[in-house]
Amino acid sequence: MSPAIKKIVLDVLKPHQPPIYQFAMRIEELPNVNRVSISTQERDEQTETVKVVVEGSQIDYDEVEKKIVELGGSVHSVDEVTVEKGTQE
Amino acid sequence: MDDPANRLYKFFEEFVQKTKRGLEESGVLEIARRYFVMNSFDGSLTMLGIIVGSYISGVTNPYTIIGAGIGACLAMGISGLVGAYATERAERVRALKEIENAMLADLHDSEVAKTSRLASVFSALVDGLSPFMSAIPSLIPFYLSAVFLFPIEYAFIGSVLISLCVLFALGAFLGKIAQENLILHGLVLVGVGLVTALILMLVKFI
Repeated sequence: MSPAIKKIVLDVLKPHQPPIYQFAMRIEELPNVNRVSISTQERDEQTETVKVVVEGSQIDYDEVEKKIVELGGSVHSVDEVTVEKGTQE
Repeated sequence: MDDPANRLYKFFEEFVQKTKRGLEESGVLEIARRYFVMNSFDGSLTMLGIIVGSYISGVTNPYTIIGAGIGACLAMGISGLVGAYATERAERVRALKEIENAMLADLHDSEVAKTSRLASVFSALVDGLSPFMSAIPSLIPFYLSAVFLFPIEYAFIGSVLISLCVLFALGAFLGKIAQENLILHGLVLVGVGLVTALILMLVKFI
């Protein structure tokens, strides 16, 4: 049984557009992602720092990071990760 | 297995959804609405000016008015298209550079940049097409006069009525945006059109 990432918490810097609800919806579109929570930590004239919590059955971190960059954001740090044994193949 | 028609439909559906999302995210719809109304008003009133000016000049050939009208429409359309694109693009490139400086990142390939580019193109299309589309209906009576050979006087009357109807529709649209009385707003713009026509008619006596 291979391990699977179930949850990651990221510190992300992003522009104001797209707004966080659209940012979350776009990340949620990724395969094996079931839930995305975003909360704003700081905000200035051009950017905002948000905490992004991604939960799913088998999260592909590279895909999540790629999507965040595509949306104009940048991942500053991975603050938390939960890994579980995956389902038997 | 997806057949080609189904794949084409899915592609089109995805394209429309992405475009709609991009336009909403870029905030261009509000700006485009302003461009649409301002430039439609320009187009309609310009055409009214050409019609009334042709009448007081004693033009009897409908093709003369059609030619002048189409020329004016094209000029307004090209002016709107190029002007709006250049202006919007400059503003959005500046805004994007400010965000890039704040984030210390190159956002050229990001969705932020793509929606900016989409917004510039959309604004240009609205700015270019709106005067054209609001002015062209006023030329239809002259076209009909040329084809069906009825007196040009009827075409002048029909054309002015169409111009006033377009102005009324624009006014009603503004009323809808402002959530105020549609008919009142429509009548205000019709009034502006009538005053414009009157002033032009008075030029005849100068």
